[in-house]
Amino acid sequence: MMSPTLTFPTLPDGGRAVGAPARAGERLLVADVELSRSGPADPVRPTAAETFAEHVARLGPRPAGTPELVDVVQRSGLVGHGGAHVPAALKWRAAAAGRGPLTVVANAAESEPVAAKDGTLLRQRPHLVLDGLLLTAQALGADRAVVWLHGDDDGGRRALRVALGERRWTDTGPQIEIIDGPVHYLAGEASAIARGVQGGVAMPTVRRRSDGTRAPRTLVHNVETLARVALAARGHAPTTTRLLSVLGGRRAVVEVERATTFAELLTGLGWSARPQAVLLGGYGGLWAPWHRLAELPIDESALRAEGLTLGAGVVIPLAEDVCGLRVTADLVRYLASMSARQCGPCVFGLPALADSVNALVEGRGAVERLLDDAALVEGRGACHHPDGATRLVASAVATFEADVAAHAAGRPCGRGAGPALPGVDA
Amino acid sequence: MTRAPEVTQRLRVDPVACEGIGLCAQVADRVIELDRWGYPKLPGALVPDEAKAAKRAVRACPRRALWLEEVGGDRP
Repeated sequence: MMSPTLTFPTLPDGGRAVGAPARAGERLLVADVELSRSGPADPVRPTAAETFAEHVARLGPRPAGTPELVDVVQRSGLVGHGGAHVPAALKWRAAAAGRGPLTVVANAAESEPVAAKDGTLLRQRPHLVLDGLLLTAQALGADRAVVWLHGDDDGGRRALRVALGERRWTDTGPQIEIIDGPVHYLAGEASAIARGVQGGVAMPTVRRRSDGTRAPRTLVHNVETLARVALAARGHAPTTTRLLSVLGGRRAVVEVERATTFAELLTGLGWSARPQAVLLGGYGGLWAPWHRLAELPIDESALRAEGLTLGAGVVIPLAEDVCGLRVTADLVRYLASMSARQCGPCVFGLPALADSVNALVEGRGAVERLLDDAALVEGRGACHHPDGATRLVASAVATFEADVAAHAAGRPCGRGAGPALPGVDA
Repeated sequence: MTRAPEVTQRLRVDPVACEGIGLCAQVADRVIELDRWGYPKLPGALVPDEAKAAKRAVRACPRRALWLEEVGGDRP
């Protein structure tokens, strides 16, 4: 069965997009872009990066990174844009508390297969990101400043090299290092990065408090967060926009006003038929039914009030004729395959969970078994990878309640499998 | 000088170091239960008479994967 394909008729006209902010100067992105369905954030139509000269003409030179910047960041209310929404000032103060050598990392390794907003921002406005990285490093007296890339992000690396070349004679502070992470779903996980920048294997780890105060410190910020630091340090008010990566026939990275509703977003992007549900935040995210989402704004605090979150801004609509449970089974199998294979509960628990979802789809399973399997992995890994899978499963059981009951009773819902999701074998 | 208040502790496991050997559950079966693959499921905050068993488990682990932490520490 064919599903309606999402096309993006508004995008090719060069920047006019859904819920576009009134003042172009208040945007992070130069233009909204269309990307192929999977892979790094290289746009279908090349978009020129903002040069260093343009960047300085637009915003003025980079101010000095003084210790007072942490108060500016705190007053601006900046939270991390990598998905967890932790207040940036909290992370700064925690990093400042230790005594070991400090590395500040701009995390550009978007490993969620649909996510591409960080790669897009890095390609379009590399100097904004680099300013934020250097400001943070200087304000905290860091010894190193690193941009951490997903190992296969050649376009991102190229954009960075060009940008660093342009500002070679003006930068002060630690020299920015580019480090290629692994090509893996967990390449952007903060504890893996902390180990990777110290020369270790970039795999998630548990830190014990007995590590001592002289242990090396690593402050990892998402590149969008750092771009926002660069604006806050110049006295700019926070933008009223949010960056989103939306999956359709292709992918789109758009910057929209936070007041934009999901209905406006998808209509604006050319989704003509109503989806039945949306996967929020990516493969380790959560499902929400369309009737609940349609009139909600994409604003994170509004979503949190409803018990929802968009994480790092990934939006994956599910067509009416696709079985959400089937898609969930494929996603859990994908997440199981993307385990770092370090922790027993994740190594054994995620495949077991994937089997139970699959058994349910095929009419041989029970919801109780599914929830038991989910409870067995929840919170038991070194990182939050298994928790993403349990959250996905729990939200699927709630969102596709009727389908779950039908499948469990051995009467499959009759909906199709739909087009394969990026990175996931059908 | 007043006496320091009784500190509540809990067991933590480093799941990377843990190999599911299961000695912890043998020496502290009131505190630690193994999951269906043999990895320890840890309780929340320990009541005082569980603390001794928990210490035994920490000492017994051949991978040194277990440790005791004060509840209310800076890590969740």
